[in-house]
Amino acid sequence: MRQALEGSQAVARAVASCRPGVVAAYPITPQTHIVENISKLVADGLCDCEMVSVESEFSAASVVLGAAATGSRAYTATSSQGILLMAEVLYNIAGMRIPLVLTCANRAVSAPISIWNDQQDSMAVRDAGWIQLYCADNQEATDATVQAFRIAERMELPVMVCMDGFVLTHTMEPIDLPDQDQVDGFLPPYHFSRTLDSGHPMTLGGLAGPDYYAEIRHAHHRALLASETEIVSADRDWAELTGRASGGLLAVEGDADAELAVLAIGSVVGTLREAMQEYEGAKAKLIKLRCFRPFPVEALQQACRGVRRLIVLERALSPGGGGILGTEVRAALSELSDPPVVYNYAVGLGGRDVPMDLYPRLLEAVESGQGERFSIFDVELEKLPEEDR
Amino acid sequence: MAVPETESMQDLRQRQPRFSGLESGHRACQGCGQALAARLVTEAAGPDVMIANATGCLEVFTTAWPQSAWRVPWMHSVFENAAAIAAGMEAALKVQGRQSKVLAFGGDGGTFDIGFQALSGMLERNHNVLYVCFDNEAYMNTGIQRSSSTPHAAMTTTSPPGKRRMGKRHLKKDLLSIISAHHIPYAASSSVAYPADIRRKVRRAMAIEGPTFLMIHSPCPLGWGHEGALTIEVARLAVQTGLFPVIELERGTLTDCMPIRELHPVTEYLKLQQRFRHLFAPDDPRATEELEHLQALADYNIDTYGLRGERPDPLDTEGADTVHRGGKVS
Amino acid sequence: MSKKSSVILTRGAYAQPGSSLSFRTGTWRVERPVHVHHAAPCHAACPAGEDIQGWIALMQEGNSRAAWEGLVTANPLPAVTGRVCPHPCETACNRGGFDEAIGVHHLERYLGDMAIREGWDYPVPPLRAGGASIAVVGAGPAGLSASYHLRRLGYRVELFDDRPEAGGLLRAAIPMTRLPRSVLDAELERLLMPGINLHSHRRLGRDVSIQELQEDHAALFLGPGIHRPKPWSVDGAIPSDMEDALHLLKGWVDHGDVPKPKSVAIHGGGNTALDLARVMKRAGVSDVCVITASGLPGDAAADDVMHVVPRELDEAQEEGVVLYPHYTVQRLLMHGSKLVGIEIVRLKKLVGADGARHRVPFEGTERVLDVDMVVPAIGEAVDAEGMEALLEHADYLRGDVWGRLLGRDGVWVGGDARGDRGTVAAAVGDGTRAAIDIDRVLRDEPAPDAGAADLETIPLQAMNLHYYEHAARVPVQKVAVSERTDLTEIEGSMDAGQARAEAGRCLACGNCLACDNCWTLCPDSAVLKTVERATDGSHYLFDYDYCKGCGICAEECPPGFIRMVPEA
Repeated sequence: MRQALEGSQAVARAVASCRPGVVAAYPITPQTHIVENISKLVADGLCDCEMVSVESEFSAASVVLGAAATGSRAYTATSSQGILLMAEVLYNIAGMRIPLVLTCANRAVSAPISIWNDQQDSMAVRDAGWIQLYCADNQEATDATVQAFRIAERMELPVMVCMDGFVLTHTMEPIDLPDQDQVDGFLPPYHFSRTLDSGHPMTLGGLAGPDYYAEIRHAHHRALLASETEIVSADRDWAELTGRASGGLLAVEGDADAELAVLAIGSVVGTLREAMQEYEGAKAKLIKLRCFRPFPVEALQQACRGVRRLIVLERALSPGGGGILGTEVRAALSELSDPPVVYNYAVGLGGRDVPMDLYPRLLEAVESGQGERFSIFDVELEKLPEEDR
Repeated sequence: MAVPETESMQDLRQRQPRFSGLESGHRACQGCGQALAARLVTEAAGPDVMIANATGCLEVFTTAWPQSAWRVPWMHSVFENAAAIAAGMEAALKVQGRQSKVLAFGGDGGTFDIGFQALSGMLERNHNVLYVCFDNEAYMNTGIQRSSSTPHAAMTTTSPPGKRRMGKRHLKKDLLSIISAHHIPYAASSSVAYPADIRRKVRRAMAIEGPTFLMIHSPCPLGWGHEGALTIEVARLAVQTGLFPVIELERGTLTDCMPIRELHPVTEYLKLQQRFRHLFAPDDPRATEELEHLQALADYNIDTYGLRGERPDPLDTEGADTVHRGGKVS
Repeated sequence: MSKKSSVILTRGAYAQPGSSLSFRTGTWRVERPVHVHHAAPCHAACPAGEDIQGWIALMQEGNSRAAWEGLVTANPLPAVTGRVCPHPCETACNRGGFDEAIGVHHLERYLGDMAIREGWDYPVPPLRAGGASIAVVGAGPAGLSASYHLRRLGYRVELFDDRPEAGGLLRAAIPMTRLPRSVLDAELERLLMPGINLHSHRRLGRDVSIQELQEDHAALFLGPGIHRPKPWSVDGAIPSDMEDALHLLKGWVDHGDVPKPKSVAIHGGGNTALDLARVMKRAGVSDVCVITASGLPGDAAADDVMHVVPRELDEAQEEGVVLYPHYTVQRLLMHGSKLVGIEIVRLKKLVGADGARHRVPFEGTERVLDVDMVVPAIGEAVDAEGMEALLEHADYLRGDVWGRLLGRDGVWVGGDARGDRGTVAAAVGDGTRAAIDIDRVLRDEPAPDAGAADLETIPLQAMNLHYYEHAARVPVQKVAVSERTDLTEIEGSMDAGQARAEAGRCLACGNCLACDNCWTLCPDSAVLKTVERATDGSHYLFDYDYCKGCGICAEECPPGFIRMVPEA
């Protein structure tokens, strides 16, 4: 049923349709609308779950961990500082192979404090061992939420669904919400193989010495790699059910033969899509990277065959290192016999506007040979004292 | 030992007339008070429980993979979140309509200090969880560093005595008062020297639908510097000197205490432990002053909680440490 | 780590419950706990060999019948000894150092009386078919005990006594206020069971001879008692009308009559002296004193204390008997052949130059007592009639530790006739040991090594007293002094509740109290509880696979039954 919904509201409705047992959250802008909406659904009797309003993100992550291990489908959402406060538990959840879903309403990380969007937060926990899916628009966020539960539970891995704060969370769009029947058909009741149960008293989260730790990490790594198949099949099955696909690991749009490509994640994709139609220029294709963890090396190599120049846009950086996404893309493509030149820019940091004309300016920069290994695009250096430029 | 005999001992072990949630083969030090206290809690709580355990000795010595000493569902996540994990477990059980009771276990570090916020949140949200703090008065798992539970003047590796210091400068945090200020139905302290008291308090807490808290004084032979054989003796003296009051609080109000049966001066307790040995340095006026200070703290407890036994004793703590042929009737 | 590890990792490293059992922490141990039985002080002190702690344990469990059956494996006459024994067990009782000793004699009497009331039979096997018969001379405590124990071992016993009824001194000389004859009759009636044939009115030397008895029977036990007063005089002087205490007491028991002088001094420190003093006091003698070289309990060395039941001493004093402990009679003051007073002097047992202890009188402590009668109560010797060849002019028969008569094979001796016994309990013990030895000899088995390692007794300091509640001894009713006018027994009985409470006070010194402390307090769950598999009388086994040797169990074992020993 198509209706105009705010992104947060759509995600909340999608979460409710997945029949979670326990939702725990701590308020942080711009995640608040999601949990407010879930709270209202619970209050209205439209979502039969235990809503635990905890005293910190740290406890939010801990509560959903405890709940999922005890046999309930569990969900939480957060942003920015909240993700960082959760970080210790996020690693723990993944290491124990606990299936649960977290929505990250992407927001810049302090200091300086900024409530506005970039993806520094989820990028900061990319090594926690979670699956990370990035959504280009609110329809994708809605669909990814449902898919995420199935992926998580089949793989026994946690899934982080990343959607840009404000840009998506606070934006009204017409959304196709799945029917409850559709969701029920797609997502079987929650099952966790190691559910805490006095009838079968398992011990979870014990100590592993040097003899075992490396093997357990290996198994975790393998599970994440193996989840690519599950991510693709979830999206395919969802498409069969609803007619909507989000591209699985990544999606390629535009001219298949183009030698120029732009790769982006999150809501920038939508802006670029329109800009590429709006502005005439070199033949180009758009690569929407949906899945950042596991990092889809083979799919990316496939998408980049024949590409000579690749512009990678990201909304985060590793200060002193460069782009996070760009670095990984370069590494993945280096295996190709004739890899494209990669131009890597951070855009839209801390809520900086990503306007339509970004695209022609990027092309101009690349065409003029001024492309860089990495820079923050659109930095207005004159705002800085000399020594900081 | 011959195999058949071992086999039959194992059979006998399975037929013991008590439930034990914590099995042999764990790697606690000799005479570990916490290992004993934890087993006593599981014994009284029974099999239909699940435990969220904070990081600490108890977690480490019970779960070196691939082995586990636990016989009840048990999960460890991280140091500071045992109460929140327990809250999540309880929320899940509630929504599933399952009846197991959730317990949370933590040491004093995981309870008084790093896990305090999560604990406060769990209590405030009224989760049906029994939180048990095994109080051994320092960070033992990391090598005996001071915590906010370390008693005044005690030596730890981060509160060493020297020319300018006499051990820990600060007081032991009065956690129980803070806990009971949450207005929870039941908060209590107990000691590993009084198994019957632990059992009674655990059963009491188990029967309450809502958050309950039990703090069990559990000597650490390594960290306190006494022989493992003296664990019970040391714990008993902590109570019998007034330094560790064994009390019960309901909805924030003191409702009962275990009266001191035979009052001892604090020096009898302190002198058994190396962590207080600097207080017995000859000709050091600072040592004398600290001993007097600790005695004054014990006297304060005795007055504040009425430990002389003048109060009526409706919960019949009388006889909590006596023995009878055929075991304890409790 | 082995390349061919058999361990298969689990997802997220979960583990199975209780899998730590495969990790044997027992290898950490440098000391191991062991159960060490001690002789309970009461047990060690009992001349009759009763395992008092053992039968009290059964009383604690509420099993009176089993307790009585345990008791009578050593002593067949608990209702008697519960009344007349000076109970060295209570003196030895560790609880005396904690608050007050266990009232063992009350409990023994309680069980004995209950057995009479309930008509319980001894747990005795049938007679051995074609078994040998044993002759026993003297139906006093020693002879009765020997008969009973021989019967328990399956032998037929022919028991000879010159009096019309069995009981010996119990019947002849112990006042009814201490031992009601109904109680004595009941215990003897049960004891004289089929297989023990009493031949009364049969006097040694007159009706039957040692030689005859030895010829007709496989073995002979002599328990003739002592009936011949030892000669008494002060530097050769004796009052013309002097009679000895045992004779007077027997006369009073037989026909209720004693002499009634104005004042009497009884010289001696045993029960006979005390019994007679009380009898005479009650009969109306206004001044009765007891003069004894021994001291009062608590005021003298163990070998220098009056051989009396302590409570009898208190009762005698309550009744007005005056005691002169550490005194002896030094001179008789005569008016013609009539006594008008005695001079007594203080003395004490001291170590002399020869290293032995001697009684030394102290010059200047003499005092004169105005008495018109003096009664010696300094003891008796064996009446030699019929045993002249065995005695060879000695006062007593001498035997080894098992009672084998020195110099004569096939004859055993026990009880007062040995000269150093003096209590019913000691006589009972003699009978027991002799029976065991007779059986062994008849079955041609060697005697055990003399002085085979006895169990150590445990001092109070070696026990953990935190676990015991202070509790006063359960008081028992007594007839008030003013009402002690007839033959009513003075000390009352315990009821079931009192007996249970008193039994509950036993500390179980040095042996398992089955209190569960070790089982409860082991941090490693390395103590397993089992009644069936523990063969040492405890309820527990150590599981050395897991015991780390911390020593908590030993430290916290209330009776001190657990000891840490170095690991081999």
